[in-house]
Amino acid sequence: MPRLPAGVWSLSGFSLLWFGGIVLPLLAIILVSFLQGRGLNINFDPTIKQYERFFSYGGGEMLARSVRIAGTVTLIELLLAFPFALWLAKGCKNNTVKLLTFTALTVPFFLSPAARVIVWRSVFGINGVVNQVLLGAGIVDEPVLWLIFSEFSVHFGFIGAFFPTMVWPIFLSVSLIDNDFLEASGDLGASRLRTLLHIILPLALPGIVAGFVFTFIPMLGDAVVSSYMGGNNVLMLAAQVQSLIGVSNFLVAAALAAVVLAIMLAFQVLLWFALKPVGGLAGVFASLRR
Amino acid sequence: MAITNLSGTRFRLPFWRQLGDWAPTGISIIFGYAVLFILYFPIVMLMILSFSGEPNTGIPGDWTITWYEDVIFADIAKRDGEAYGSNFRVGDPLLLSIMLAFITAVACVIAVLIVGPILPRIKWRGPFLVGFLMPLMIPGIVGGVGLFMWYRLVIHVKMGIWSLVLAHFVWAFPFALLAMLVVASRFDTRLMEAAEDLGAKPWQRFWQIEIPILKPGIYAAGFFGFLLSFNELPFSIFMRSGQDTLPLYLWIQSGAHNTTVPLIFAMSTIVTIGSIGLTFVAIKLAFGGGKNDVK
Repeated sequence: MPRLPAGVWSLSGFSLLWFGGIVLPLLAIILVSFLQGRGLNINFDPTIKQYERFFSYGGGEMLARSVRIAGTVTLIELLLAFPFALWLAKGCKNNTVKLLTFTALTVPFFLSPAARVIVWRSVFGINGVVNQVLLGAGIVDEPVLWLIFSEFSVHFGFIGAFFPTMVWPIFLSVSLIDNDFLEASGDLGASRLRTLLHIILPLALPGIVAGFVFTFIPMLGDAVVSSYMGGNNVLMLAAQVQSLIGVSNFLVAAALAAVVLAIMLAFQVLLWFALKPVGGLAGVFASLRR
Repeated sequence: MAITNLSGTRFRLPFWRQLGDWAPTGISIIFGYAVLFILYFPIVMLMILSFSGEPNTGIPGDWTITWYEDVIFADIAKRDGEAYGSNFRVGDPLLLSIMLAFITAVACVIAVLIVGPILPRIKWRGPFLVGFLMPLMIPGIVGGVGLFMWYRLVIHVKMGIWSLVLAHFVWAFPFALLAMLVVASRFDTRLMEAAEDLGAKPWQRFWQIEIPILKPGIYAAGFFGFLLSFNELPFSIFMRSGQDTLPLYLWIQSGAHNTTVPLIFAMSTIVTIGSIGLTFVAIKLAFGGGKNDVK
């Protein structure tokens, strides 16, 4: 006899609370970005002045830089993570190696992001160990300055920090591919490249898109790596938002956050379409049941 | 690779078995582990440098535990009202962070028990899932600004411990839910029906069937809630009020002066080792063993 499972009411209640915890704040960003006022006093007069201000202060350049850096690193991660995840899911037969790699890919999620990168400043600094070695070996005559607080160091810091977020979704989607498909493809005479392009890639696409979203979006809003590795030389979104809030320029900060939100929503739509062939998010969990 | 069998026909090894001897695979494995090295090098280096005489240079050596003594004694001296060399006081931020993490963990466990078992069973779970997992796809900074805008600017509430708890919960809940869903989607609801047919009351079904089966998910939710809250930074930047959490305090200190860098290394090392230890306990309790699996 089908009936409503007990607990639907508590689920609804919790969803309402959750609405106040995350949906209302996101709507508030959009709302506030179209208002005017000073400090904590805002009046409800719609305007697009905050966006004009943001772009006239060179916000567009900063935004473009953030998107460019996050995009570049995400592509690098994809190139590094896809073959690695493919091997981990289908090629690696050693269970100990697998388990160790899984653990290595999981632990960083639960560590302080700051503790994970702060050492690079000492390693790459003017008096840091890299420069001392280079000077000592006579490879350079004076300390290399672009090792830290530069675009190089920001890219470098991101690559390590955001690798697991790219590997996990691709790994999951590849390991869900039935081995019979690969075998059939081989039996029918397809080359390995053909199998990769026509079987694995289409079936792993949801994972690739998910990896892209889970890597690109948090990186775009990252507050830690960009400021530890980039200092004031490579100003990115998060630092800009923080400094705007710091000087009580809440409305322009809201406009900036709204732009990020728009980028994020575009990617969520992309993810939704990518997951559609496998039955959406719910389908992913249904497949876990097997 | 083609292999000839006894009857002389040549057949190909399945694709995934050929991966092992595929040259590009070798390169990709090396690259993959190289990135993992880049990820773990600074963590290991942090621990080594925290015991070194001159951590600022990044050169290990001149072993000492003076930085750890400073971290501990500076705080004790402050409590006794005495002056001490450094201005680095982690006591209060540490207590606040532990308290927040504990509250977040308990909140995550309760929330996950409400949502987790029911979600795989209802038809319209798609929108719920998207809603609950949304924070995973929102940069922390945007989530933090949003909470700030809504509570501070739009409805004018004062920030306090409650706002930090709320922010940490919003951040940690999706991870806790994911862990619980992995367990809950395998839950066989016929067990509940059988218990009901055999006359078990609702609370008996809850305590004697649901809780034991969902135990790995409950452990995972609690540990994830604790760890994610304890190390959370981007939300806290906007939701604090006066008191700093430990990551916030270290964050502010690291921007301030070079002299506190060794102390930050020492404190970060303590936190990192604690977090790694807890992560292993969590993984073992939640996913190890598999004794609780009911198929």
